[in-house]
Amino acid sequence: MAAWDVEQVLGMAPDPASAKAAQALARGAKWSALGSSERALWGLCQGSGKKPYRTVVDLSGPAFKCSCPSRKFPCKHALSLMLLSATGEVPQSAEAAWASSWLEERATRAERAERKPGEVADPLAAQQRLARRADRVSAGMAELESWLDDQVRRGLGGFEQRGYSELSRLAARMVDAQAPGVAGAVRRAAGVVGRDHGWPGELLEELSLIHLVVSAHARLNELPPSLADTVQSRIGWTVETARVLAEGEKVEDDWLVLGRVVEPDDRLTVRRLWLRGSSTGRLALILNFAAAGRQLDPLPARPGELVPAVLSYYPGALPMRALLTQTAPRLPAQRPGGLTAKQALASYVESLAADPWNERWPLVLADVRPARNGEYWALVDETGDALEVLPGVDLWKLLAVSAGDPVTVAGEWNRAGFKPMTCWDGDRPVILS
Amino acid sequence: MRGWDGLVSSALLGTERRPPRFEELPPKIQEQLGEGDLLDAAALATLYKRAGRKPLEGLAPIPAAPGEDRPLPRPSAIRRLAAMLTGFQTTALGEWLRAADARGWGVPPEHLPALADYARGRAEYRPLVVKAAGRRASWLADLNPDWRFLHAAVVEGNDHWTHGNPIQRRSWLRSLRQRDPAAALEALKEVWPSEPAAIRLDFLGLLADGLSSADEEFCEQALDDRSKEVRRAAAGLLARIPGSQYGERMAQRVWSHLAVSQGVIAVDLPARLTVAMERDGIESQPQEGIGKRAWWFRQLLAAAPLSTYELSYLELDVEGCAPEVLQVAWAQAAVREGSAEWARALLQANTKTGNRVAELLRILPPEEWVPAIEVLRARVDIADLVGGLPVPWPAPLGNAVLDQLAQAGTARSWARLASIAARAAPAEVLNHPITREPTGEEDTWRRRLVETLIFRREMYEELS
Repeated sequence: MAAWDVEQVLGMAPDPASAKAAQALARGAKWSALGSSERALWGLCQGSGKKPYRTVVDLSGPAFKCSCPSRKFPCKHALSLMLLSATGEVPQSAEAAWASSWLEERATRAERAERKPGEVADPLAAQQRLARRADRVSAGMAELESWLDDQVRRGLGGFEQRGYSELSRLAARMVDAQAPGVAGAVRRAAGVVGRDHGWPGELLEELSLIHLVVSAHARLNELPPSLADTVQSRIGWTVETARVLAEGEKVEDDWLVLGRVVEPDDRLTVRRLWLRGSSTGRLALILNFAAAGRQLDPLPARPGELVPAVLSYYPGALPMRALLTQTAPRLPAQRPGGLTAKQALASYVESLAADPWNERWPLVLADVRPARNGEYWALVDETGDALEVLPGVDLWKLLAVSAGDPVTVAGEWNRAGFKPMTCWDGDRPVILS
Repeated sequence: MRGWDGLVSSALLGTERRPPRFEELPPKIQEQLGEGDLLDAAALATLYKRAGRKPLEGLAPIPAAPGEDRPLPRPSAIRRLAAMLTGFQTTALGEWLRAADARGWGVPPEHLPALADYARGRAEYRPLVVKAAGRRASWLADLNPDWRFLHAAVVEGNDHWTHGNPIQRRSWLRSLRQRDPAAALEALKEVWPSEPAAIRLDFLGLLADGLSSADEEFCEQALDDRSKEVRRAAAGLLARIPGSQYGERMAQRVWSHLAVSQGVIAVDLPARLTVAMERDGIESQPQEGIGKRAWWFRQLLAAAPLSTYELSYLELDVEGCAPEVLQVAWAQAAVREGSAEWARALLQANTKTGNRVAELLRILPPEEWVPAIEVLRARVDIADLVGGLPVPWPAPLGNAVLDQLAQAGTARSWARLASIAARAAPAEVLNHPITREPTGEEDTWRRRLVETLIFRREMYEELS
């Protein structure tokens, strides 16, 4: 009885090399003590060492266990074992003891872990923790609201001197109140004070959007559920990945990697990977974090390539952030279609309508040419409209690729400008950031 | 946006002192606002403003660079180029560019900025990067003054000569000199009186390419130039024109201080430096380690054509000065005239040629290099000998040196030869057996050599 066909098994390979290696192993005479039961496959595979590797595939997941040192998952041995099973080469037999013991262990762990997502070991304690946090957040929001009202009543006039330190202190208070999202927004507002002569207007923009979070929080129960999720995430409530994987909206597609932006920081490196579904047209953001000095996870594919994957979206009024489960090896892709400057701005405005706090938006601009915009740069589309390039971006690669001819560029838009991530030299993707 | 500045003023002064005037805001915002306060109004207005953002208009794209692009090599070759630009085996960069160019490949344009930055401070890479940039060379140079050298791309027509910057004019003149030496000389003569000294010096140097007696008159005149550097450069050119009056003058001077009779060269060192000699570029102040009069004489000897002398002089005794004075001068003349005959004789006679052994070796026909090195290495370090030879070496030399290194173990003393050979071994010998022998895990010259050879071999395979 085979649970999968060969195609499906190869689809589980983490990369083409693993698929190839697994096929080679399945042909060779490396396997011994092969067996299968209702719930599992197992076998011993001779590797380069003296002792053969012990490989088990739990059919329920499928889940994999192998004593080999490979960090690929599933490893070539597990893939090969499934391939053998798919071609009917794994006989039914009594479970080998080593295979059973692992299966039992896994089953016990699963019982513990596979409670419904969100459910925890001690539901009562967890509920209490949640309630305590909710209280703290509410208290924090109330404090923030009265501070904001106070400032507006008395005026932001003296802020040039006291604004930065007051806002920084307030940001720290918001961290204490377990509202890190709001704390971040307050820190951003602190950064605006005194930046240039237009700072009072910018500060008012920032403060008004913080006020918008606070007042939305006050009537969370009246909001549509997805908007309430957005507000919660702006405050800084995170949704556990297990819950996203279990309950999040699932979209399967071949996802074009539009590009990535890596922001190194003193403590935490953040990578934003932007995707666009090639048939659904859906956009998505895959976030990755690494402690300072640590490596980020490898990319599922290079910018300009396709990743066949199921995305599980985080909840919210503007579903963008998602978790990616790759379903097949990455594929090359052609140059994607793109937007004019007007269409691009309109798509950003649509995102604002769903999530007024949205700061960043992925854009693919079609056939744009570089132009000087004062001391900065802009990209001009075929109709003559242009978007400003984010000041300070190193544009030389894009300029060299373009040579003044129209190019398709994918980038990240925010109010300060467009940050190019990837462009296409003909159909060849060129990574810019 | 209407009313926004009013909101900002109220926020700055405080709503106690300046109550907000919501009636100034656009009606849509007033409708939404209802009973809201200043921050509610500001939030609405902020989103109203952000949603209303318009594209920029009226910006003129930069004119496109005219011309065609070459096809790109395969992705593995492009990845190798990218790796070299991030510091991995970067010394093979020039070779990659030359090999790609020779096979008709282009360079992926996104790597041009890094290449231009790299070549900025390394003159020997500039012509390669100019070629690699293709139609983008001048286009990029216009955008980034740091990459001015990219203007050296040759452009048809005379605009660059009459209106270009010094780099464009230099490259125009150089390319004309290659095609039509006489026309280049005419062009230079025309502008000569009005150019500043630095430009005169630079442009005069370009005549070295395609130099002939047609240039003699002009160079003679340049001996009276206002600038000492220009005068010296003109003398250097004249010394290289066969049958020039300058050479004649030098030969006469030599013979007035030198006589050969009965197997002896008798030298009577010049007592003073004449004005005429100084005009011909003879320096009055000696280098270290040589007397004034011997120094003048050595310069005269070296500047005279080799035809002034006979090879047999090398075996004669010298009276009146150290034999070294003559040998160094002859070596200098042999290098200038590229005389294999004299180079061979000087090397065989085991003469004191200063540090010109490698330069003389270079003049020999390439097929003589291997046997000559076998003899010379007894007294000169082999790395010094081969280090001065043009790269890539002929295959027999590459094989000979790699054979030698293959037997050499890992002693430190071979490290310099290995590092020279790693770069200089020609493409044909990159499959040498040494690349298949184990190198050990330690970081030795042997391991670095083999890594480089393999790297280069793969590079050629990818570019084929």
